[in-house]
Amino acid sequence: MSKLGEITFWTATISGGLRLATPLVLASLGETISQRAGVLNIGLEGFMITGALTSLYVAVETSLVVGLLAGALAGAGLALLMTALCVRLNANQVVVGFGITILGIGLTGYIFRLTTPLGGERRQIDIAEEIRIPGLSDIPFVGEAFLSNSAITWLAIGIVPVVWWLAQRTVFGLEVRSVGEDPDAAYARGVNVLRVRSVATLISGFLGGLGGAAITTAMVGVFEPAITAGRGFIALIVIIMVRWSAWGVAVGSFIFGFSEALGTNLRNIVSDEVPTEALAAIPFLVALIILVVGARRARMPKSLGFNYIPDR
Amino acid sequence: MNDGPSAPVFEVRGVSRRFGATQALDEVDFDLRRGEIHALVGENGAGKTTLAKITAGTLRPDAGELRLFGDIYSPRRRADGSAAGVAHVRQQLSLVRGLSVAQNIELGRPRPQAGRRPWPRRFKSASARAEVERLAEELDLNVPAEELVEDLPLAVRQQAEILISLAWGARILVLDEPSSALGPLETEVLVRLCLRLRDEGTPIIYISHRLGELAELADRLTVLRQGRVVVAGADVADADMHQLAELMIGDISLLEVQRPRTRAGEVRLDAVGLKLSVEHGAGLKDISLQVRGGEIAGVVGVAGNGQEELAGVLSGQVRPDSGTVLIDGSDVTGSTARAVANGAALLPEDRSAGLATSFSLAENVIARRVGDPVFASWGVRRMRPVRRHARSLSERFEVNPPEPDLPARSLSGGNQQKLMAARELEIDPAVLVASGPTKGLDPHASRAMRDRCWETARRGGAVVLISADLDEIAELAHRVLVLSGGRIIDRFPTEEMTSARLGAAMAGLRIEEGDDVSPQGVDS
Repeated sequence: MSKLGEITFWTATISGGLRLATPLVLASLGETISQRAGVLNIGLEGFMITGALTSLYVAVETSLVVGLLAGALAGAGLALLMTALCVRLNANQVVVGFGITILGIGLTGYIFRLTTPLGGERRQIDIAEEIRIPGLSDIPFVGEAFLSNSAITWLAIGIVPVVWWLAQRTVFGLEVRSVGEDPDAAYARGVNVLRVRSVATLISGFLGGLGGAAITTAMVGVFEPAITAGRGFIALIVIIMVRWSAWGVAVGSFIFGFSEALGTNLRNIVSDEVPTEALAAIPFLVALIILVVGARRARMPKSLGFNYIPDR
Repeated sequence: MNDGPSAPVFEVRGVSRRFGATQALDEVDFDLRRGEIHALVGENGAGKTTLAKITAGTLRPDAGELRLFGDIYSPRRRADGSAAGVAHVRQQLSLVRGLSVAQNIELGRPRPQAGRRPWPRRFKSASARAEVERLAEELDLNVPAEELVEDLPLAVRQQAEILISLAWGARILVLDEPSSALGPLETEVLVRLCLRLRDEGTPIIYISHRLGELAELADRLTVLRQGRVVVAGADVADADMHQLAELMIGDISLLEVQRPRTRAGEVRLDAVGLKLSVEHGAGLKDISLQVRGGEIAGVVGVAGNGQEELAGVLSGQVRPDSGTVLIDGSDVTGSTARAVANGAALLPEDRSAGLATSFSLAENVIARRVGDPVFASWGVRRMRPVRRHARSLSERFEVNPPEPDLPARSLSGGNQQKLMAARELEIDPAVLVASGPTKGLDPHASRAMRDRCWETARRGGAVVLISADLDEIAELAHRVLVLSGGRIIDRFPTEEMTSARLGAAMAGLRIEEGDDVSPQGVDS
């Protein structure tokens, strides 16, 4: 256990936490926007895994950037389906959301099997290198732990203030909140409720797909079935616990990512007497407690999950 | 097009609109002139709101033509109406409750089509706030810019919505039943505001079924009945209100009904020292009242001064922080089950709180008696007796249509209220708490509800009538209790009710002396 006192253990765990938080941040930022607009998007896991496969397969043929973009667009494509069914055709959001998740997992698994002969080679890509900020990344501890990240992590961090700005400082942000709170009143004020909800859902699909792409293309370098491992659902939990706040999502995602990294790294250093499963679970438990205690004021969008039908 | 001072700024020609089997509007003509307030009156379901929505662009007409300042005006959606300068203040206001007034001013704000701005547009909170404050000062209104709309009293929300309409460049204003939820003082503020806007050049379509208030407000008046115009743009100055009321209803005059007072007996409702603090609203600050069987106690006050809390506590739905509620000597404090068992009935102001609107008439009617062996055996509902009972009760309480299997939401507001009354008053209650029982109802349905309250008292029930409608109080109540800031600050026999005394009490100018809790002015 002596390694717990070593600084390298903690720098590795923190930078690992940031890495693991990246897909979560991206996916939950998008979902925050759609939920604020009243669209409960349980299909997030489906967006992510579709983005994960698409981006890797495209990146192998082209480049990292094109791959990430393709993953994001694949997520947006599924979001378009969600928009058509839920926002326009008034289908039940929960049913469609689960459908999209199942579709995404099933379809990507199927495509993976088709394209990967048994015992054959998987498609693989080199993981992008860390981007270090000259000077800053050399600061002891802080530089190693927080400031040496891959491009996708920097991108995720950069999107946080953008989403915050969009939600808090633009008329679109007001529209999003209004259609999620009180679509009837928003409609009467002249807000195009269905359009705002559609745009919000597409943003959620785009960022969800990008979150999935981050896993395969930027972090692991390969795809395997169900590689998202429920991160789409964890993102849903994060959003609820941080009460639909962009900065909260960033912090909450990091706590989850950090816990996961801690669990993994602890397994490497403690001896056999502690079951690895228990070790893997403890950090999540801690994360849950922190999040529940840390975020109090409830303000759920009042029309979350309810479709809106304008009367004509 | 005539451009003289009385030229129409807005014209409706031959507009019709149908909803399913109902012809809501049937070739309606209407015009609004420069510098006037044109009242649109009629019963519920006469088509007033449909016409307002068509004017605003929320609904499209099936046939007919609209002209605004002489030009053809055919809005396809609400935003088109706003952009053309038509503001519609709905009865159920349309500011988004989770946002501030300053945020609402930007939400849906019409923009000039030319020179489209880049997306997303920035929300400049400082300038939005400044705009709200400037307009509030200009109009002499007390509208806070930064508070959430849901924390504002109804009257202020309404003022905020009118203010925003003006900020958006409204050229004509459509106000739908603006006074229906306001107390007398708030109505006065509204009337002053309307007159002022009219004089400053914004003509107003004012929808109401309170003929009384129109005399001092409106210049002309159009009466709709069942989707048709029965009086077109008559001058209010020359109008005979009684005659108009008759035209509006189609039969008996409903004004100035005298009610014989019922005889008061033993104290049946005895509430002592009720205190309740709530997050929004005045709460209750040490309220005591006794109501005798056969007596109707009228509770008045500016909306939001504890009426809702009082109704909740007296009916057992809300447990007070302290104090007790006794019905015929049994303690029912904070328990609807005990209150109902001891014969309490409640007609809540919000009909959706009193009915399961997606359930059928029959299911709603027997809701208080689900376990009754007449209606269930071995836990299985016996549909035939349920339906039969529902039909006969619906007929007795004039619920139209009396179809047991229809969902309650398919009934009109008035009929929903009657359905609720049928359930609550089927068995003569010991205590009836009626909260705004005629709010938003047309004169016919109001009449029926007032009859029910009176009948309940005549049969020996103690009635607490909480109402913003002073005519209703004058007609029914034996005595009047004035609520202000969660206290009863004045009480007197109805005969002593004068506008001066009421106004002073409602404005909170009078504080009740001592701890006088005994009821006064009980006729017997």
